[in-house]
Amino acid sequence: MTKNLGALLLAALAAAAPAAAHHSFAIYDMDQNINFDGVVETVKLRNPHMAMTLKVTKDDGTTGVVNFIEGAPINMIVRLGLDPADIAVGKQIKAVGAPLRDDPHSYFLKAIILPDGRRFSVIN
Amino acid sequence: MLKPASTAALAAALFALGGCERPEAPAAPVAAAPQHPDFSGLFFPAGRQQDPQRPEYTPAAAAALAEYEKAFQLDDDPGRYCQWPGMPRASWGAPFTVEIQQRPQDITIYWEGYGMYRKIYMADHNPPEAILPSAMGHSIAHWEGDVLVVETTDLKQYPYMTRQATSSDAHVVERMRVEERDVDGQKVKFIVNELVLTDPKVYKTPIKITGTLRHRPDLQLLEYTCTDALWDEYLSERGLTLPDMDALPPPGPQP
Repeated sequence: MTKNLGALLLAALAAAAPAAAHHSFAIYDMDQNINFDGVVETVKLRNPHMAMTLKVTKDDGTTGVVNFIEGAPINMIVRLGLDPADIAVGKQIKAVGAPLRDDPHSYFLKAIILPDGRRFSVIN
Repeated sequence: MLKPASTAALAAALFALGGCERPEAPAAPVAAAPQHPDFSGLFFPAGRQQDPQRPEYTPAAAAALAEYEKAFQLDDDPGRYCQWPGMPRASWGAPFTVEIQQRPQDITIYWEGYGMYRKIYMADHNPPEAILPSAMGHSIAHWEGDVLVVETTDLKQYPYMTRQATSSDAHVVERMRVEERDVDGQKVKFIVNELVLTDPKVYKTPIKITGTLRHRPDLQLLEYTCTDALWDEYLSERGLTLPDMDALPPPGPQP
């Protein structure tokens, strides 16, 4: 059912434009899929765009914070089956981001991947 | 007003409860209320078609569009700042749950997206007068057989030229019906809304839009508070930090 709803969400998102799309996403390099593995530091479960910061450990052992300044509406993500408890502060997750063109340290949150492999995304 | 069948059932129930004498049957039969399709329930947007695909603007509106496109970018978008799309844009729906509650005197539609709602008043139930121009306008409906015909006026202008702009002269007529369709071997209820937008100041010809909603009783209407990010931006600009109530320690033993 969740898979079907995901397809329906995507279809509806496309059909609903221009009423649903808030902006062009041109400010992001959406062709990029940068993978991160880290611990949720802050999370905003909100609409029209959720937001999150992720504490990651770099290859040299130092830590940094990845700023996902926006993502899908949280209502869409939970409707796909994500339990907000799975992305609570302190949870280990993987995330896929597209960098902001003017600030490569800020990202659009394209996908959330839980430790059990479940992936939540409304944008390919 | 109770339907005749309900009145009879109520009388029988009162008789059984009170042990009183059965009231006499009414002298003249009362005509049964017509049964109309029921739009009530939880739905999800399931598609939209528009004709013409590219609306033809009046010369004045085309000039306004050219100016708009020079000054505005796609990111300068009212939706991002929680402005309701309103009618007719709401009718085909953002990809969020829609709940419809139907009563004999009116229909209320709640859109999860943007937290929008709309009232449609039935013409034969003493509808109120329009008071203020609004994003959803003033909607009065009547039945033509199984089709609900809704006329909407008193819309405030929506001057976002790349998002189906409308002036306050816009007039919307919807013809809404219930269809049962076969989906994966199961009968599923759909609401089909054939809408005609007429706005002679903006468009040379009427625009026909058909929006479809699919019955999804398994969904919930979630809260959609759109202004959280705007409030956060304000707090950031002011250098204010809200207390974290969830981080407060649990209560200790009472003295």
